[in-house]
Amino acid sequence: MSLKRIRLLIWKEFTQLRRDPMLIRLLMLMPVLQLVMFGYVVAADVGNLTTAVVDLDHSATSAKLEATFAGSKYFNIVAHPASESELRPLLDRGVVTVAVVIPEGTQDRLITGQTASIGVVVDGSDSQISAIGSGYASQIIAGFNSDLRDAAGVNLSPPAVDARIRVMFNPTMDPVNTMIPGLIAVIMMISLMAILSQAVVKERESGTLEQMFVTPIKAEEYLIGKVTPYAVLATAQMLVVAVVGMLWFRVPFNGNIWAVLTGLALFMLTNIGLGLFVSLVSRTRQQAQQAMAFLMIPTMILSGFIFPIESMPALIQPITKLLPMTWALIVLRNSFVKGSDFGALVVPLVVLAGFALVIFTAAVIATRRRISD
Amino acid sequence: MTQQHTERGGLAARFRREAPTTQAESELAISIHGLTKTFGDFTAVDGIDLDVPRGQVFGFLGPNGSGKTTTIRMLTGNLRPQGGRARVLGEDVIRHPDRVQRRIGYMSQKFSLFEDMTVDENLKFYAGVYDLSAEQFARQREYILAMADLTGREDELTRNLSVGWRQRLALGAATIHEPELLFLDEPTSGVDPVARRQFWDLLYELAGRGVTLFVTTHYMDEAAHCNRLAFIYRGRIIASGSPSEIRDEHFERRIFAISSADNEAALSWLEHADGISEAYLSGASLRAVMPASSALQPEQLAAALAAAGVPATVSATEPSIEDVFLSLVAQQR
Repeated sequence: MSLKRIRLLIWKEFTQLRRDPMLIRLLMLMPVLQLVMFGYVVAADVGNLTTAVVDLDHSATSAKLEATFAGSKYFNIVAHPASESELRPLLDRGVVTVAVVIPEGTQDRLITGQTASIGVVVDGSDSQISAIGSGYASQIIAGFNSDLRDAAGVNLSPPAVDARIRVMFNPTMDPVNTMIPGLIAVIMMISLMAILSQAVVKERESGTLEQMFVTPIKAEEYLIGKVTPYAVLATAQMLVVAVVGMLWFRVPFNGNIWAVLTGLALFMLTNIGLGLFVSLVSRTRQQAQQAMAFLMIPTMILSGFIFPIESMPALIQPITKLLPMTWALIVLRNSFVKGSDFGALVVPLVVLAGFALVIFTAAVIATRRRISD
Repeated sequence: MTQQHTERGGLAARFRREAPTTQAESELAISIHGLTKTFGDFTAVDGIDLDVPRGQVFGFLGPNGSGKTTTIRMLTGNLRPQGGRARVLGEDVIRHPDRVQRRIGYMSQKFSLFEDMTVDENLKFYAGVYDLSAEQFARQREYILAMADLTGREDELTRNLSVGWRQRLALGAATIHEPELLFLDEPTSGVDPVARRQFWDLLYELAGRGVTLFVTTHYMDEAAHCNRLAFIYRGRIIASGSPSEIRDEHFERRIFAISSADNEAALSWLEHADGISEAYLSGASLRAVMPASSALQPEQLAAALAAAGVPATVSATEPSIEDVFLSLVAQQR
């Protein structure tokens, strides 16, 4: 291997990149656009859900519970139907999206030490709102519960009020905090896979790839020369996302920087490998684009980047484990939000190392064998 | 120290035993024996033998898909054959492509320049690839710019050059390291006749400096520019030798040139006429081929055509390389 030739190839790649101002603009605009989209649009919090309260108990306790709901910024009580049968049309017409049903005898049951059930009804037509709405409702009822216990002066009694719907969601965790660390991984995947494969296929289309392999350039020199500029670009993009995320969106970082960098480096090798595979199976740039779309869509949907894996059907969940992105997201999110260190991230890091080893090595070997075909 | 020497000698000797080079082979620019390449069920190159002497313009002719490019890719060390031997400049190119790559040049029909880089940047890149010294580069750069008529346009992007200039620049880039052997894969396809002519003048200039040229083309008129030719058809070499040898050996028949206002009607009549073994379109006129023993005279054929309602002028002619090739292909079928 000749360092001089690798430097020459890197110089050539940057010279060509400079001549494509549109691509440079896209590369620099992409992180900004995605930050806005995922930071403000997708991660936007749900508030002021139109709510109905069906109070069948008419007691001090039920009034207090209603006041708790009214006091939260998530619920806006707009109706007081006299019965559950009157509630149904309100939900049907979309007048309310959430309803709280306090059954008759709730206060009596609590006084006699029994468990009382509170019904929470959510409009499931928008799964996002229903999940968040029911989550907040459970949260409020749990808070109400602990107030009751404090008032009774005991800590031992089992929960007195039981919310019927439980949806795993933690409203204290700002969605931006999970979106932006995830965005770092997504940007890396797009930049390395899409742009690298385009660059290799373009070279094959124009015949310069064929030309270079008649010269003393070795396959590994070509690969290093090709990959390095795009790895540098992807790193710059990730830095933009991380810096804007932490300074503007105030995403906390509590983890170990080396654990994150290790994860990202392994994920980078995986994406380089995938980009090379895409360029191997594609004869034209259009084909490479199709192959990219084929890989990107399942990755975005199944990796847990947008939709939580826990809410996916049990059959689908094992498939998500096959995506490198899933594991990269675990490393990034746990590092940012939970502050996990190396020890806590052993499993995802080892899985990522496995992906990197297999995919990158296979791609390099296959590319070396077929590079000029 | 002595032992090390012996070891090296031993190693070199073993190499020689493994792949012996005869004196004759090392004097040849290219020497191929039984070279075979298959892709799945398809045999692209079917056990070809070929010798190309040094310092010649060697034409490798054949229709598209006949195995020309596959052969070149094996000879440049880019593709491993399934069988056979290939020596390029005395080295076994299949085992040691790296020993050959610095000494050969290659230019494809795509011209393979980086279109989003300038003339100068392209030259700088290839000079760097071949590790030219600053002085060598300066000298070669000046020579190539003058040769390609691009002096003063060094900072133009190559995508903005018209095809003749791009072609000459590509030739310059492919020969920046002064190779002993240059492969040209359909270097003139898509180029206008004037530029083709100028390009062949440049190739002659290279040949005059002792560079061996291995040129593939499907322009049969270009075959006349070559010292030696080989015809490849469906992966097999069906004829080889100098143009006149090929003409004499493979064309012992008589040929008439026929032009008519209605070539199609004339052709369909000729295809079924007695005493005519082959008839085909060649440029704007027709050719009719007869066995050497045929006593048919041009006037007789003209009269027969007129009688059939297709008046035409008929004259005896010398077979061109294209006639030979078409006749050879017809025999293969």
